[in-house]
Amino acid sequence: MTTATDVLPRGETSQRQDLDIPYVLLVWNDPVNLMSYVSYVFRSHFGYSRAKADALMMEVHQNGHSVVSTGSLEQIEADVAAMHTYGLWATFQRADQG
Amino acid sequence: MARAFKSTPRGFTARLDSTERDLLRGLFQDVAQVLASGDNPGHDGGAPAGEVDPLWALVGMDPRTHAPGFAAPTDAAERRLLPDAVRGDADAALEYRRLTETSLREAKTGNLKAAALALETGNLVLDTAAARQFAQALNDVRLVLAERLDLRDEADAERIGSMTDARKVEDVDEYLALVYNFVTWLQETLMQALLGDL
Repeated sequence: MTTATDVLPRGETSQRQDLDIPYVLLVWNDPVNLMSYVSYVFRSHFGYSRAKADALMMEVHQNGHSVVSTGSLEQIEADVAAMHTYGLWATFQRADQG
Repeated sequence: MARAFKSTPRGFTARLDSTERDLLRGLFQDVAQVLASGDNPGHDGGAPAGEVDPLWALVGMDPRTHAPGFAAPTDAAERRLLPDAVRGDADAALEYRRLTETSLREAKTGNLKAAALALETGNLVLDTAAARQFAQALNDVRLVLAERLDLRDEADAERIGSMTDARKVEDVDEYLALVYNFVTWLQETLMQALLGDL
């Protein structure tokens, strides 16, 4: 029989607010990955237009890194895994960091 | 002599002679070897590679990455293939690695095996998915070669990129540079063909 004690105390749900904080995916420059390859990955994985993909690719190349995607922690972690499968140097962090 | 990738109604095609195919197949195998876990003591949680407990497999986890001694790879090339996902926070990077490294190794190894199989014939004909796998495999080969060549910046890339004449090769590094440039050329033609089809 279900009783009221099965309900989580209010305090235990507070840490779940972390899920609402947006995360960002950064791609870092390296001298190996071809510009054409990076642009192709941005277009095919994220569905970006040619103009947007090329602009992000140039930002990586010239500034050393670029924020390529923003979203929930779960989504960004999956994007990082995809970027690593492609061999791109990607990291993730909370949007309000650095 | 290789003929570049191009987009055709049949798919992405290229022509490679047997020497070039043997070379590429060897490179794909070398990189798969780098990715084969078990030869890295940092990853050895007891079970030999490929023998994951079915219960762990069922939940998509690998006991080796959850063993107490689990750490990031120490080999530079392996680490380049499996980079840290978090900068400046080793604990967070390791935690992400525990959950994802095994599937990343498997995905890359799958690409390399598929790419090696595509080399069974000199006339390559790849659909988009196979072409993408081939591009990923070529890219991983270049990452490993770049690590062996100590390619760190654009100046290094330019120096290595100038080595295109096989008659001038005098040492192992120059040979590796020549191989790197061949793989780069092949990947670039494939990317232009893939981009043209988007």
